[in-house]
Amino acid sequence: MTTKETCIESFDAVLEERGVSRRRFLQFCGALAVTLGLSEAMVPSIHEALAESVIGKADGNLMPVIWLELASCTGCTESLASAETPDVATIVLELLSLNYAETLSAGAGFSLEEAKEQTIEHGGYIVVVEGALMEGWNGNALKIANEKAVDIVRHCASNAAAIVCAGSCSVDGGWQAAVPNPGGATGIQAFLERSKADGSFTHDIPPIINIPSCPSNPEHIIAVLVDVLLIGRFPDLNQYGMPSAMFDQYVHDNCPRRGHFENGEFVYQFGSVEEAKGFCLYPMGCKGPQTKNNCPIVRWNRRVSWCVEAGAPCAGCATANPLKSGRNWVDTNAPFLKRFRSITIADIPFQPMVIGWGVTGVVAALIVIHGIGMKATGRTKGGADFEAERKWDKKHPDKALGPSVKALEASKKNAKPKAKAEKVEAEVASEETQEGGDE
Amino acid sequence: MAHLAHYRQAHPLPFVITHWINLVSMILLILTGFYIHFPLFSGFMGVARGAHLFFAFVLVINMVFRVIAAFFVKSAPDGGTRKLDYDFKGFLPQKDNRHQFGAWIAYYLFFKKEHPLGGKYGVPQKLTYVAIPLLILLIAFTGFSLWAPTSVVGPFAAFNALVGSMMVTRIIHFFFMFVFIIFMLIHVYLANIEGLAPSKMMFAWKEHGGLVYDPELHNIVGEDDLED
Amino acid sequence: MAKKIILTDDVEIVPDGGEPLGDGEQQVVPISGEVPYEDEEGLKKEPRPAPGKRPSGSSIVDPVNRIEGHLRLDMVVENGFVTKSWVSGGLFRGMEIVLQNRKSADAAYIAQRICGVCPVSHAHSACIAAEKSYGANDSFYQALPTAARIIRNIIEGAQFLHSHILWFYNLAALDYVNPLNALSADIASTVALANAAGTTQADYAGLQRRLKAFADNGQLSIFSGNWFDAKDHDGRSAYKLPPELDLIATAHYLEALEMQAVASEISGIIGGKMPHIMSSLPGGTTFVPTSQNLDDILFRIERLQNWIRNTMIPDTLAIAGYYLAVEGGESDFFYGGNAGNYIAWGVFESPSFKPEERYLPGGVWSFKDSKYTKVQNWDETLITETTAYSFYDKNIDDGTPLNPRDGITAPLYKEEYALDDIRDHPKDGAPYTWDKAPRYDGLPFEAGALSRLLVAYNRGVPEIVEGVDGVLKALGVPGKLEVLNSTLGRTGARNVETLYVADKMREWVNELIEAIKGGDSSTFLEAKEHTGEGAGMWEAPRGALYHYMKVKDDVIDKYQIIIPTTWNISPRDQAGTQGPIETSLLGVPVEDLDKPIHALRAVHSFDPCVACAVHITEPKTGKKFSTVTNPWGVK
Repeated sequence: MTTKETCIESFDAVLEERGVSRRRFLQFCGALAVTLGLSEAMVPSIHEALAESVIGKADGNLMPVIWLELASCTGCTESLASAETPDVATIVLELLSLNYAETLSAGAGFSLEEAKEQTIEHGGYIVVVEGALMEGWNGNALKIANEKAVDIVRHCASNAAAIVCAGSCSVDGGWQAAVPNPGGATGIQAFLERSKADGSFTHDIPPIINIPSCPSNPEHIIAVLVDVLLIGRFPDLNQYGMPSAMFDQYVHDNCPRRGHFENGEFVYQFGSVEEAKGFCLYPMGCKGPQTKNNCPIVRWNRRVSWCVEAGAPCAGCATANPLKSGRNWVDTNAPFLKRFRSITIADIPFQPMVIGWGVTGVVAALIVIHGIGMKATGRTKGGADFEAERKWDKKHPDKALGPSVKALEASKKNAKPKAKAEKVEAEVASEETQEGGDE
Repeated sequence: MAHLAHYRQAHPLPFVITHWINLVSMILLILTGFYIHFPLFSGFMGVARGAHLFFAFVLVINMVFRVIAAFFVKSAPDGGTRKLDYDFKGFLPQKDNRHQFGAWIAYYLFFKKEHPLGGKYGVPQKLTYVAIPLLILLIAFTGFSLWAPTSVVGPFAAFNALVGSMMVTRIIHFFFMFVFIIFMLIHVYLANIEGLAPSKMMFAWKEHGGLVYDPELHNIVGEDDLED
Repeated sequence: MAKKIILTDDVEIVPDGGEPLGDGEQQVVPISGEVPYEDEEGLKKEPRPAPGKRPSGSSIVDPVNRIEGHLRLDMVVENGFVTKSWVSGGLFRGMEIVLQNRKSADAAYIAQRICGVCPVSHAHSACIAAEKSYGANDSFYQALPTAARIIRNIIEGAQFLHSHILWFYNLAALDYVNPLNALSADIASTVALANAAGTTQADYAGLQRRLKAFADNGQLSIFSGNWFDAKDHDGRSAYKLPPELDLIATAHYLEALEMQAVASEISGIIGGKMPHIMSSLPGGTTFVPTSQNLDDILFRIERLQNWIRNTMIPDTLAIAGYYLAVEGGESDFFYGGNAGNYIAWGVFESPSFKPEERYLPGGVWSFKDSKYTKVQNWDETLITETTAYSFYDKNIDDGTPLNPRDGITAPLYKEEYALDDIRDHPKDGAPYTWDKAPRYDGLPFEAGALSRLLVAYNRGVPEIVEGVDGVLKALGVPGKLEVLNSTLGRTGARNVETLYVADKMREWVNELIEAIKGGDSSTFLEAKEHTGEGAGMWEAPRGALYHYMKVKDDVIDKYQIIIPTTWNISPRDQAGTQGPIETSLLGVPVEDLDKPIHALRAVHSFDPCVACAVHITEPKTGKKFSTVTNPWGVK
């Protein structure tokens, strides 16, 4: 393990050795004559910094960051590497002090772990989490430096100024949380809240910014960092802790093919004329209408394109619910090339249309059967005869409505002096046949 | 064989009109809804969406008007009589059809031979009609949770969050449509299976003779052929 | 005592006092002597060994940096050389299980989430597996439209360029280049050196000012915990570049960041976004080539071609030359050799759709194993996997090697597998990794750029033969192919391949334009039937990639994946034979037990992607996965 003394000693050794290096370099190049003195004066600060710790000075112009890679594909790091303005070099040299980042760090093993420890000890850093947290096998599904990732996350969160969850995996587990969630994947926010509840995390949970989509869009991460670092404020977050500016509008809202949607111009098959014309991909399973992200505006890979522009329906990769890993984008949106999610009943998947028409069909069939019954019982011509007295009233004469049937008999005679019942019935019957004929 | 006389007092003109509006908007909503869900052919989406939204507003406003009017317009709460009372009373429990829920079910399942003697609406019918404004409210709520300008408004956004995603809301909205389709099937069937007089009244406001019911005596007291 | 590298007829790596390593034989020396760690104030501290005294003990690198995923390197060092090694993947994800019961086309979207560096390869492998399952005798796959085949090659190529550029400059280079050292470079000399080395110039003064501002600030950022103070076995600094070359390399490190992004832009144009492209689906591609986007692609390919030719290749030779130019002709670069068996399934589909005729052809070749000294076509049935040393349920799977189509593995972690201390080694015979041990014809095989190159070289692909011969000549070992079985070989091979792929991409764009001109612009073929099984055998930048899919009525019944790094970080198999990386570590010199820089360089030369490497499948026994994942075992 590197300590102050060995660091200075070895750094001095590196400096000393330059003379030798120069000789070899001359040997290698053959033709060059180089004379120069080492400008020791140029490096005092870094020399001094190294003496302090493996991370150099703990404070400075740069915001210390621990980039924690959990169960990830490294895609979010790769994605960040394609950032346009600022580029990665600017980020790591002039914006952030990326003290721990497995994919980018110069260090490895013990010295890298020490860099993390020193950063945590000093506090005031941002943790960027890439990848899902795995809780399977009591946390053994993910171990780094012989430590369970669940413990690493709690430890890193304990003294952090903020946590940025980059990518759907760290927001809610991502695809790894998809049924049957074999490794026990979970999002960071849900995990910390659970840890807080069960007492395994005793600190205050730092503010969490969730930036879903798979991978995370570098422009999103940078926009958040710029908000925090340069403008000195936290971005406005929606109810899921996602920046409102990016995740409050549907992909569909800003889609350049929206006009074709409104015109009803759709692609029904890949490789078709409609596809070549760039029509709307909604019938091909595009999840743009239910996915909140501003992809059509920021686009991808230095704004050269985005999924729909490449002819591919949106897969809804930004679908995420930080507190419910079951709402991950794969389970919500697969099958990706079907326009609507199937509904599964007893392991048999249905389209909603099938169920809707199925139930309607059953009702219609019952109506037909019922109609046959009505016809057979002769109720189709004016219905059955009325009961003389209500059934309940008959059973409960003391509580019956109005006068008894006998009393009514008398009043009925007074009430119908004009016409005879037979005549009315005949009239009704003839009218009905007429109407029936019209139908 | 018998049915009560159909007088205009049972369905005053304002309600005939609201019924017409309901019919037209529901059918257009269903047709455009199917197209939006499943755009089988090209070139109609803008119209379909516009119409769907327009008739959604029509349906909701009409429903609100109908409910309010029920407290101000008078109609006959019983069939076969011209005696008026506030319309809403016809949707509430009435003396005329107390304890009749079972009797109606039994009648329609052919366990009871005679037609129950009751008010203008049978008990299951009354319950269904009361449910319709609620269903309209719910389907409209899910609809507004899907419509971009309103989906970000508090309660609608909260609903999307509650059920999981807009996708789920969409499916709920879609299934609600089938509730209406099934209601309409049963409604049309039961209204007309025992004769077309109810339809003539509802759509053409045409009276029809039949037995006369006395709301005070709570029983049939004679018949009226409407010829005089 | 230094190790000896003898560049005569046979290259032999002879560790001090040890036997030459060869024929897959491994040198196992029992752990002996004191572990030189003393507990001081809770810190384990290693006293610098006195001259002549070589360190012994346990050397651990956990986590290994600048790779994808989480890798643990565990070595026993005897008198300054590695005598025992274990590499292990610490992450379990379970992609195959997630894919089960989903639509066959969805696999192309979901499976590429295995890896953010090589998603295109995973997407294509999944596509090919699906396409092969859609029709008997690969009929559907071979009927793929020409334009779709070419477009897929171009996006695959873009990913190769991205991956290789990123690997060389941004992942591996910090093992050889010390950017902090560049602070004291002289600008005029730097310009002169760049001219001499034939590499492109950059704004050195500007960069130096930038580095100075960075240094003055004092926060170390990505240089935190660096190994720039690591020593060679002879006590000299392990970082051998002069400040001027450090400055050039740092300038090109920053340019490489730009160029890998440009390569990704090509993937972005075709695939919508990169990582995780959206356009490749079973049946072709959703990308519609237009004159506008073909222009965009062509321009970027040309830019990359120029940069690779004029910057990346000269840089490689300059840095390599420097590390080779050690007094007495000795070099640290020739460590990292192994059994010397190479496997490649082949990548970049040719019009014939035959794996052995792909632009980087498939094949099996070995330096030493007599069966394969002449390059052979691969045979899928010879692939086996064993879980003898992996975290799997021994009740269900006794470790018998099985073809992945018959895989019966079931993951199971027991607390007894856990190491008490980070410096502990796995117990004898105990499982130590989530990774499985794949074998071909019973032998461990190395996968990667070197494997592809050696197969292509032996199949006589002209550009590759020229490139490999050229590199060997430039390194002063003309015709000595064996030299490539080393850290240096893998590094050089990757860069030769980068240039080859860039040149080919240019040709493919022209081929695509010709096809479209000829009226063959179809990009998608709709499948008629969706039942069957097929294996997508393809190549990721890191090596041979295998996706197997069994589909029933468009629903995935079984999925199986073998990733290139699975071949390379393979643990011991049932016979105790180690995989390529573990073997490569044996005999590597270690000066500082906490900073075994040569071991790290050897591991980096494989470009491991451990995120990809760990895979399992649903057990055949009919037991539900929820049962087998139960921490208390199968009930």
